[in-house]
Amino acid sequence: MNLVALKMLVGDRMKYFALIAGVAFASLLITQQASIFTGYALRTGAWIRETGYADLWVMDEQVEHTVDIKRMGDMTLSRVRGVEGVAWASPMYYGFLNVVLPDGSRQNFRIIGIDDATLSGAPPKMVEGQYSDLRRDRAVIMNHAANVMLDRFPAEARRYLRVGDRVSVNDNEVEIVGSYSAGPEFFWEPIFYTTYSRAIFMSPTERKNLQYILVKLREGEDARMVADRINALGGVRAMTGREFENQTMWWILVQTGILVNFGITIALGFVIGMLVAGQTFYTFILDNLRNFGALKAMGVGNGRIVMMMATQVVVVALLGYGIGVGLASLTGAAFSGVGLAFQMPWQIPAGGLVAVGGVCMVAGILSMMKVMRLEPGVVFR
Amino acid sequence: MVRKIIIPLLSVLGLTAAIYTVRASNKTVTPQPPIAPPAVAPFERYVAGAGLVEASTENIAVGTLVPGVVTELYVRIGDRVKKGDALFKIDARDLDAELLVARASLESAVKQLERLRQAPRAEDVPPVEARMRAAEALRSNRQREFDRLSSLGTTVSRDEMDRALWTLRQAEAEAEAARAELDRVKAGTWQPDLDVAIAVVAGAQAQLDAVQVELDRRTVRSKIDGVVMQVKIREGEYASTGPLQQPLMLLGETETLHVRVDIDENDAWRVKDGAAARAFVRGNSELDAALTFVRIEPYIIPKRSLTGESSERVDTRVLQVIYAFRAADFEKAHGAKVYAGQQMDVFVESR
Repeated sequence: MNLVALKMLVGDRMKYFALIAGVAFASLLITQQASIFTGYALRTGAWIRETGYADLWVMDEQVEHTVDIKRMGDMTLSRVRGVEGVAWASPMYYGFLNVVLPDGSRQNFRIIGIDDATLSGAPPKMVEGQYSDLRRDRAVIMNHAANVMLDRFPAEARRYLRVGDRVSVNDNEVEIVGSYSAGPEFFWEPIFYTTYSRAIFMSPTERKNLQYILVKLREGEDARMVADRINALGGVRAMTGREFENQTMWWILVQTGILVNFGITIALGFVIGMLVAGQTFYTFILDNLRNFGALKAMGVGNGRIVMMMATQVVVVALLGYGIGVGLASLTGAAFSGVGLAFQMPWQIPAGGLVAVGGVCMVAGILSMMKVMRLEPGVVFR
Repeated sequence: MVRKIIIPLLSVLGLTAAIYTVRASNKTVTPQPPIAPPAVAPFERYVAGAGLVEASTENIAVGTLVPGVVTELYVRIGDRVKKGDALFKIDARDLDAELLVARASLESAVKQLERLRQAPRAEDVPPVEARMRAAEALRSNRQREFDRLSSLGTTVSRDEMDRALWTLRQAEAEAEAARAELDRVKAGTWQPDLDVAIAVVAGAQAQLDAVQVELDRRTVRSKIDGVVMQVKIREGEYASTGPLQQPLMLLGETETLHVRVDIDENDAWRVKDGAAARAFVRGNSELDAALTFVRIEPYIIPKRSLTGESSERVDTRVLQVIYAFRAADFEKAHGAKVYAGQQMDVFVESR
């Protein structure tokens, strides 16, 4: 009998395609928008995730997010090192400095200074050169994918900033000795990594220079307890990388309005998707009302009819959903090269399935009620 | 048939793509661990500080009392010097000239004194003696004349008598003067004149000594046994006096090295006299040295930033604790050296 249900479904090819397309479109809308939002949200903490070979990040207690420059005194490092449970701690400079590129154009760069001795806090992977090149005189390394265009050169000499170029950071000449690869992130200023003391040397004179301290715990220490001990020093706050990521993410989502703006878009996409799926399905059932009436007239019980309809719901939902998430993935893959923030953790397709399935179910139940109340005689009218 | 399965096929393909995307999203980048392992504290409870290695005599910035152009450099970087060894010499040609003058005037004073001591000159006596004998002869002659006139009694006029007497008196006085003159010549130099000449000699000698001392000040000498750690002055360069930003020369005893550990004032209370400590070389935490406690400097100072910048950035105030270790022992244990001026990570055991 279920075969009949399927036949009924695919019988009218145009209607069948329209139905599948509706559900697929709904799934596409829901999962794609959610994935882009997630991609954005995850980018805010990308740098923390990729840099922090550390159990705890220590910063000034007023720091709200990654590029919120509020620095601590250098001696804080020694104090943190002296906290029970801390295996080691290394300093990190983080600041914005004006850079003059080889073509004469000026740009703000983020300068990150990592511990001279251990180079802890280095970017995840080197592409050109090696980490120890940072110990060379006036050395900095840049993101391989930074794509800093030198467009003040005459057209034929135009090119991207590359390893070997000499640039001026706050009027200090430095050489780019290598490049690293790291994932895309939310903040847009290109990054130069250099050593801590060189970063301070290049930066304008300030009393406090220490933006972050990366802390590794001793074996078997509890991060929460050590963080509390560090917080007890006063004026500083210790967080795990995950906590810092979340704080940065929420600050940006809320303060930039991304949460509200994107949220409304997602909600709208979700609602429209559901409406489209529900309505398409409902119309389909109504169109087939005559056929169900005929079945009823032939003496088919209500239970069997419900089973048939359920089969139709599941098949349509699954087929449409599969195509929808597939299309969403394709857009992600197609546009990630040009900077689309697209991240699809399993929760998104799972949620999409539940939503689309639910909508189809509701539409199905509504139409079932109609079918059940159906007089078999309707066929003959 | 194809038509029938096209939609399910698309759907399956879509699901596969979604699964692939989910798995790709799950992939996380592993952060880079430190290139050189950082130093881990060897104590249960401790205070961490930044240590600066220095000579056990502290780093002595050699200065000169007299400014001038350096004409000679007697030591090179790394030389061992003993207390009193000459390090370098400031141009002293002016003093060399003054020395000659002082020597000459001393010599002249000495000769002057010698001459006075040798008086009377042998040749000076005979003429005076002769003159005395002449005066004596004249006096005898006059005496006899007077005696002769006296014996004649009243036959001689009173006037003649008087003339003879006064002529005699004159001759007597002249003889006396001649004898006195002889005595004076024979007596030699007058003592006060000698004293004056001796004083002049002493003055000339003092002058010479003063030039010598001045000359000696142009040669700068080591006040300790130690090693020449830095030479920032070369022959022909001008050396200024006073405390300099860039010392002319750094001396220090480096067999035993001291580590000056900066401890944040907020942690100062945690450091006890004689607390155990361990220092780690930056860049290779396997190179460590057990430290022996020397002293706690009883005055808390503003921390000096070690960025090498000329403008100091006062960060906080720090307690300085001095520890020591033997350079040779460190080298024997690790086959690597530690140098004065190097930074180390230091952990001090605390309560």
